Amino acid sequence: MGDHDKQDVWQGTLALMVLKTLHALGPLHGYGIARRIEQTSGDLLSVNYGTLYPALLKLEQDGYISSEWGISENNRKARFYKLTRTGRRRLEKETRDWEQTTAILARFLNPEEGRS
Amino acid sequence: MRPLRATWARARNLFRNQKLERQIEDELAAHVDLHISDNLRSGMSPAEARRSALLKLGGIEQTKENYRETAGFPTVESVAQDLRFALRMLRKSPGLATVAILTLALGIGANTAIFTVFYGVLLRPLPFPKPEQMVQLHEVNDRGGQPNFSDPNFEDVQAKNHSLQAIAEYNLGPEVISVGDVSFRPITSAVSRDFPRVMGVQPMLGRGFSPEEQHFNAAPVAIVSYSFWKQILGGSQDLSSFHLKIGGRPAAVVGIMPPGFRFPGNADLWVPREIYERYPSRTAHNWQVIARLADGIDIARARPDLSTIARSLKQQYGQDTSMTDVAIESLHSAMTGNVRLGLVVLLIASVFFLLIACSNVVNLMLAQAAARQQELSIRAALGAGAGRLLRQFVTESLVLSLIGGAFGVAAAFWGLTGLLRLAPATLPRLEEVSINVPVLLFSFGIVVLIAVAVGMGCAWKSLSVSPENALNEGSRLQGAAPRRQMALRVMIAVQLVTVMVLLVGAGLMGRSLVRVLSVDPGFTVGNALTMELDLPNDVNPARRVQLLNELFTRLRSLPGVEQVGGGRLLPLFSGSRADGSFVVMNPGQISPRMRDLIQRSLEGSLDSDPVLLKEFSDFFEELFRDREHMGDADYRVVSQGYFETLRIPVLKGRLFEDRDTPDSQSVAVISDSLAQQKWPDHDPLGQTIEFGNMDGDPRLLMVVGVVGDVRESSLEAAPRPVIYVDYRQRPQTVSEFSFVIRNSGVPVPVFSAAREIVRDLDPRLVPRFNSLAHIYSGSLDARRFSLTLVAIFSAAALLLAMAGIYGVNAYSVAQRTGEIGVRTALGASASEIMTMILKQAVFTALAAIIVGILASAALTRLSQSLLFEVSPVDPVTFSAVTIFLLFAVVLASWLPARRATRIDPMIALRYQ
Repeated sequence: MGDHDKQDVWQGTLALMVLKTLHALGPLHGYGIARRIEQTSGDLLSVNYGTLYPALLKLEQDGYISSEWGISENNRKARFYKLTRTGRRRLEKETRDWEQTTAILARFLNPEEGRS
Repeated sequence: MRPLRATWARARNLFRNQKLERQIEDELAAHVDLHISDNLRSGMSPAEARRSALLKLGGIEQTKENYRETAGFPTVESVAQDLRFALRMLRKSPGLATVAILTLALGIGANTAIFTVFYGVLLRPLPFPKPEQMVQLHEVNDRGGQPNFSDPNFEDVQAKNHSLQAIAEYNLGPEVISVGDVSFRPITSAVSRDFPRVMGVQPMLGRGFSPEEQHFNAAPVAIVSYSFWKQILGGSQDLSSFHLKIGGRPAAVVGIMPPGFRFPGNADLWVPREIYERYPSRTAHNWQVIARLADGIDIARARPDLSTIARSLKQQYGQDTSMTDVAIESLHSAMTGNVRLGLVVLLIASVFFLLIACSNVVNLMLAQAAARQQELSIRAALGAGAGRLLRQFVTESLVLSLIGGAFGVAAAFWGLTGLLRLAPATLPRLEEVSINVPVLLFSFGIVVLIAVAVGMGCAWKSLSVSPENALNEGSRLQGAAPRRQMALRVMIAVQLVTVMVLLVGAGLMGRSLVRVLSVDPGFTVGNALTMELDLPNDVNPARRVQLLNELFTRLRSLPGVEQVGGGRLLPLFSGSRADGSFVVMNPGQISPRMRDLIQRSLEGSLDSDPVLLKEFSDFFEELFRDREHMGDADYRVVSQGYFETLRIPVLKGRLFEDRDTPDSQSVAVISDSLAQQKWPDHDPLGQTIEFGNMDGDPRLLMVVGVVGDVRESSLEAAPRPVIYVDYRQRPQTVSEFSFVIRNSGVPVPVFSAAREIVRDLDPRLVPRFNSLAHIYSGSLDARRFSLTLVAIFSAAALLLAMAGIYGVNAYSVAQRTGEIGVRTALGASASEIMTMILKQAVFTALAAIIVGILASAALTRLSQSLLFEVSPVDPVTFSAVTIFLLFAVVLASWLPARRATRIDPMIALRYQ
């Protein structure tokens, strides 16, 4: 598989988490998204916040999120991201796909349930 | 759609560097700020808060770098970076860059030029539809010869074959065509009925020949080529407005061929073959034949079909036909077969040349890379992968290669136009040789290949030094690996051997040319014009004499004209030679009865009586068996004044005078070598010669004069024995005539005056003007062309070798910097250092020269036919080339040697 593929899978997962976060919380800046993801994962994920920014840029390039400069709670200029309609559709599709994959795998990994 | 959108976004970012930088800086600053606030709120100290925030971010620079990579086109950007770096490297060492570019220009230019010719002549398909179906046919006789077709054989092959969809016969030659009152001599081709079907090309304007126009003695009609129509006829769309005359007969123009169609052999005019008579003999080989194979049939299937026809014809007609088989060959092969081998050899040689050029450039770049070893190792240590370094090298060599390639193609274009003008007309399809898209693609392909090869060569060689060693500079003192040095020197030596062989060849050919120029042609060239005329077939011999007499009188009376003379052929003019066997006999040997028969043969009344005819020919056959009185000589029909005009010296007796008329005794003037050969002991004057087989006139010729030898056919061949006769007494074979006009003034007034005189006497005659000087130098054209080619090749090879020597020496000096520094520090003087470097170069050169001498001596012996009065091991040439080569080697090694003396021992040793 190699590191490169792992990186791709991770980026895909991260992207999905970002979309979900924005869907749940509305427009948010980069720091807020990072914090929220860490919280939601129950601190199981411990990654450098820096990895978020390239992912945010890619999502914006692909048109799933849009950005706007605003004022943060520190009264400082910050960049806020929000979900686009395309992004929402993508989120719905990805969620469905993940749930389906999980279900199929579950049947494979727990064969007794299938037999009975 | 997503990837496209992303790509577009990235592309836009290529040009927004600064804005992007500001954005990400602001965003990250805001992020860190927010994090710090949070940390402060949870009770950390300001310093701790900041540190924790930065740690959690994962390194600002790293994040920025990752961000940048996603933002733009990393590949494009790093390639741009490589390019900037490469250009900077080149600017830093312009001398090296220049040498490398010139070397590549040479290699690429040579390859482009040769490939252009190769492509145009051999690879490019013929400009006809389905050219693979087109074939050329010849008869085959029982001696294996392949003569042209005769009419009856052609007709039978046409009727009986099962493998051809169309077949046509044709011939071609220059024909006098007049348009209005101006005359031209375009190549005209008579073509048979199915010619358009064979060629597959229709006239673009007008029509083809109609059946009414294609029979014997029909009024001539013509189809004309595009360029003839545009340039000579004016390009009018109304074909009936042209008033053309072919050989004096009015001909209507019925069609115009599309541009570029000029088959066969640059023809400009086509007429129906059928208007000329049919020759019923099966051994009158008058026609060339071309055919188109039937669909689905190839040459292998057609061959047995045609052979069967030939065999059945031979069976049916026996001795009447000499054809025993039919030779069939693809048209492309027929047109280009004779040069194919030569071109392939040339192409291989040029590829070899290119390989040498590439290896030289690799050495040049390595010489530079050796100095950059430290920089490269640092880059490797900082994490640049081997691939990245390779890309750097390839980029550098690509820049060199592109610039060199641009120069090379330009040089090839310029050189090719010049070379083609010099080339002998025997190179087929010359008009199709031009630098076009396939050739440019080929050149570009070579350029890229070179770039990759050179880059990889450099990268491989410099990466084989491990980073630790380079950083320690330990290798500097060691000097270059001796094995690698040896390999480089051997390569240089091989190049020098090649150069030596080429230079010796050029030198020998040059000396040959000089020798040929010093040959005495036997006549004086000087300031003389020539005028050549074709006399039409319907002018009978008596009329010819009248015409020529009149022309001579009028030409001689022109102001400024000193002398006028002429003959059927002039010396050194390539053309058919008339020669044969003669017999020395005295009039007493001819009985009165024989004299009567001779008279009747002249009148033409002998042909009807076979018995008398046999007696007549038996008599002469008997004579010719007498070896002692027989001889071979050239037969030249000339005029009074010929020898005087050409300043051919008269050695004995007299030349042709007014008293030599058609009614007086037939006289002849012979050349000195003939006099020496046949009459070594006594006077040839007064002897009588029988040479009737040359023109059918059996009257004896009396020798009245002996003249100096003349080089008739070429300056290099020995002078042949010649028997000259006067045209007034022997006009039968004078179908063409050349005048030599020696004048004192400017030639132009004589040109127009002479043209007027000719037109006045007979408007059908088209004079062609030339000069003796031009004819003389023209006879040297082939030799000059070969010499030019060899000289160009040797110069190119020499330049290449010199660049290689420069490169190898520069590399060696760079590798030995430490050693040279030590020597200098220990007191070695500049001249001692230089001598050390040069000595090595000269030793290599001497070794190469010795091998070169042996190789040249062996090779030139094989090509002795190219030399003229020069020994293949001519010591003057060999020693001159040796000295020149040594000088060139020293010159090429001079700069690196000088640089070696400039090495500051302090700097060299500091890197210890």
